[in-house]
This record gives sequence, structure tokens and C-alpha cells, in this order.
Amino acid sequence: MPIDRDRPADKDRTHPRSTARLFGHPIHPMLVPFPITCFIGALVTDIVYARSANLFWQYFSIWLITAGLVMGALAAVAGLIDYLGDRRIRAKRPATWHMLLNITAMILSLLNAFVHSRDGWTAVVPQGIILSGVVVAILGVSGWLGGSLVYRHRVGVAE
Amino acid sequence: MRRGVAGRAAFAASLLALTLAACSDPPFDESKQIGPDPLLPEPRQYLLPPISVSPGEGWKAGQSPAVAAGLRIQPLATGLQHPRMVYVLPNGDILAVQAKSPPPEPVKRPKDPIVAMVKNKATSFPGGPKAASRITLIRDADADGRPELRVTLIDNLNSPFGVVWADNALYVANTDAVVRYPFVPGQTRMTAPGQVLTELPAGPINHHWTKSLTVSPDGQRLYATVGSNSNITENGIEAEKGRASVWEIDRASGRAREFATGLRNPNSPNFYPGTNTLWVVVNERDELGPHLVPDYLTSVRERGFYGWPYSYYGRHLDPRVRPQRPDLVARAIKPDYALGSHVAALGLTFYTGTALPPHYRGGAFIGEHGSWDRYSPSGYKVAFVPFRNGRPSGMAEDVVTGFLDRERRKSFGRPVGVAVDRTGALLIADDVGNTVWRVTAAR
Repeated sequence: MPIDRDRPADKDRTHPRSTARLFGHPIHPMLVPFPITCFIGALVTDIVYARSANLFWQYFSIWLITAGLVMGALAAVAGLIDYLGDRRIRAKRPATWHMLLNITAMILSLLNAFVHSRDGWTAVVPQGIILSGVVVAILGVSGWLGGSLVYRHRVGVAE
Repeated sequence: MRRGVAGRAAFAASLLALTLAACSDPPFDESKQIGPDPLLPEPRQYLLPPISVSPGEGWKAGQSPAVAAGLRIQPLATGLQHPRMVYVLPNGDILAVQAKSPPPEPVKRPKDPIVAMVKNKATSFPGGPKAASRITLIRDADADGRPELRVTLIDNLNSPFGVVWADNALYVANTDAVVRYPFVPGQTRMTAPGQVLTELPAGPINHHWTKSLTVSPDGQRLYATVGSNSNITENGIEAEKGRASVWEIDRASGRAREFATGLRNPNSPNFYPGTNTLWVVVNERDELGPHLVPDYLTSVRERGFYGWPYSYYGRHLDPRVRPQRPDLVARAIKPDYALGSHVAALGLTFYTGTALPPHYRGGAFIGEHGSWDRYSPSGYKVAFVPFRNGRPSGMAEDVVTGFLDRERRKSFGRPVGVAVDRTGALLIADDVGNTVWRVTAAR
């Protein structure tokens, strides 16, 4: 349930406020580097596997995707709390798109984890590497939108 | 907006449900995968491969498997500790080889511990006897089906499976070596320690760990089976050295070579009586669908290559293997007789006795441990393949069934090794039921 931010104490605030914070710093941006790094890394190791057929890289990919899913889920919780916590955030157009794209990336990565759990070559080629690539492309756009929310719309920025 | 979020969450959930749903195999005429020319559907790959295990619960007192008309089944020995193989010595004494699995493989992928957990559920049951790695000698000299003697012959073995006697020595195939014990039939305890004759590929990765054993008709050579170290080389091709093959071991020197290769998980090698032709049952690969790839019974040619991992049933390429080896695939031998997909054929014995109905004479009894890599269970029975002129001929038949409660998805037992005792009765090692069963003619 959204919290009513029209309390007198909040009246003078100008920047949309982050709800999930740690000592005043928003948690969501602390966590997002993990899934982004993991999913980009998985695309890189997928490419190396597709070129080398060395299983080491395939295992690397599935662990990266698994770690990306775990850390991405934590980032999603923090992000969702912020999204629901201030209606001024929800009012920003990039916020909803940012969320939808990230949810899509997470669902595709979950499917990708199942594909990557197959035995042998077809764990990566072709479906696995395609999914890894699509996820990275989506993260590029959603990351840009997340940047807009902070650097342009000053979401979570202190007064 | 909130409605939108909920709607999308529901969409995501339904997507997931779709991948998990549809828990039944497509309709298929299973009999089309029995015999020399099995129907092979296109390989399929899954997000979540079809998996169904039937957890073991053991037999209730007085309960037993069902047998074909004209036969009768009784427990010869109960309360064993995971019996996997039975072997009959020249004097009629029966050896029950019991084994616990070797230590689990190192975890390489998040999938590994999950798959191990699922398979474990199917092979043990709470409250049942703990598996032990030992050989128990059972003596039923008056052949009334009630043994007079039951004694542990060798204890603390290393996951044994195969055993064979030749020339006053008992050869035991542990998971890591063939070990030789001086032994004269009639003995009821070992007087000398075993000596390693030949080391076999084992850990640290030891995927298909059962090593089975037989001796050539002239008594000079042993044949040991060594299963692959993976489903389909997902542990790397270097882990497959000496694996997926039948080894020929010189009984005097212990020197060994690969006799035939490309046999994914071969077990229970046996020479067809009166010939020099070696036969073996083989467990084929998983995760290509509920109806791929059929397990099989085949004669084994010297230096023959039978496909694994590159291809199955001759030249049907497995899309999961890179790099491929067209040179090997070109000479891949098509196996002789398909037994059905995922039946997990582990036991094989040829029937030369006279006690069972004449119909069975000269044919093969096959212990099918039962499936996990499909929704509708297959195997979980002892089948019979008729032979004519030393070749399989005609449709396989069910001989011993009723190991599975299909409705409750529980198994009372699971058949593994089979043998024929001195009187001509069929013996079956049942590793979940912890029993050796004895099948005789009904009177």
C-alpha cells in the first residue's frame, strides 16, 4: 500500500524520497551493480564458451546468472519499496518503465538459468546466449532510465 | 497503476506455471521402442526436463512382486543392505553384492545438488536398512527357498557391484578396482585379503559408478564394464578417459584394454551360452525427452564403437556434444535390441535352466531398475527377451512386475541384478526392497 506523503513534515520537500534507505543512502542503487555486472559477465562467458566449447565458461555463466538473480531480487525489493513509498516517484514516467524492463530482465534471466542448466552445448547455444544478450540490452535501457530518475528527476537525492 | 503491477505479477506467475505445468508425457506407443528398430522421435530440450521419482517404501510383510503366468515368486533373503547384484557359485552358494554409493560428486553447477537430492529420494526410504558395501553368502543346499546359512563373506568393500568366480579365485569389481580373493567354493569365510588385479576409473568425479564383471568362456580374460562419467560429457571429455566402455582384463597379469567403447552405462556383461559373443545391457542418455533414448541390449564387438557421446542408435547425432567427432560417428554401431526409454536396464542373465517353463530357455532376463527422467514411469520390472539362434527374436515380455504403486507414486522395491541358481530358478536383487527374490515354476 502506498504511504500518504502529504504529511506536513513532507510538504516542503522538493525531491522524491527514497523509502528503503540505509543511514540516509538509498539501498537500491547500492545493489543494482551486482545483477548488472553478473548478467553482463554471463554474456561475456557465454560468448567465450560459444567460441571455445570449454565447459569452464559454461559453468561460469550459470553461476553468474544465479548470483545475478539472487542479488537482482534483493535490488528489486529495495526498488519496489521506493516505487511504492512515494507517489512522486510513481508519477515519473521513467520509473514505471524502469521497473517493467527490470522485471522482464529478471524473468528472462530465470528462464536463462533453466536453459543454462541443460547438459552440454545446448545449455548456451543458441537459446542461452540469445537470452543473455537480450537481458544485457534490456539492462542498458532500464539502467539509462534509472539514471534519468536520479540525475534528472533527483529521486532519492538529498536536499 | 497498482492494478497494473498486480496484473504483471500475475502474468509473470502464469509464465512460470506454464514452464512447470503439463506434467504428463505425450501419448506414445511404448511397444514401438522394444526390439531391433525402435521408433526414435525428434530430440527435445526443456527448461525443466520431465522428472518423476517414486520414493521407496519397502515391502510389507507377505507382500511380493507379481509374476507372469506359470511362475511363482518368494523372498530368498530379506533385510539385506541395498543388494544390487546376485551371483551363483559353482557349488550353488549365492552371493548378494550390497553397495552404498560412493561419495557425492563435487558440485559444479547449481543444478547438481538438486538433481542428486531428487535421485536420492528414489533409492532410499526412511526407516529402511542402511546401505552397506559387502558381499553376503547365502546357502540353500536343499533348494527349498529357505536358506540354511547366511553369512557376511567380505565386508567394507568400496562400492562393489560385479563379482565372478574363476579358477579358485573370486573377483570383485569395486568401483575403483577389480580385486582378487583366493576362494574355493564351499568356503564361508575369506581366509586371505584381496589383491588389486586392475584399477578402474573412479573418483573424484565418479558419475556412473557400478562396475560389473564376467569371465570369458575359456576363463582367460575378465570383462569389466565402466560407465560414463556424466550424462552427456557435461563434466568435460577429459573426465571420460577409459569410460563408457567394456574393459578386457587379462586374468593372469591384470593388463587391461578397452574392448569396446561408446557404451554410455553398460552393465551385466554375459557371454551367450555356448558362444564367444559378449552381451551387455546399456543405459542411454537423459534429458532429450521421455521417449529418448531407449536403453538397449546388445552384443559387443571387439573394438566396436556404439555412439556415446556423439550419437545414439547408430548415427543419430546428439546436439549437446561439441566438438563432434564425425570420424567416430561414421563407424557407430547400431545396438541389437531396444528395451524402452529410461527403463534403466542393469541386470542381464541368459536362461539355460530347465526348471522354468520351456518358453524361457535360451532367452534373456533383464532387470530394469526404473525411470526418473520422464513423468510416466517405465521399467521397474524384470523383462524377458526371447532369443533364437543366439539372437534376440520377438517381443519382450514382462516377467516380474508390481515393484511400483503407480497411483501413490511409491516403489516397494526396484530390481537390479539377475541370476539363475543351481536349480534353474531366477534370482533378482531388489535394492530398495532389500530382498533377493527367487522365481520358480508354479506348481
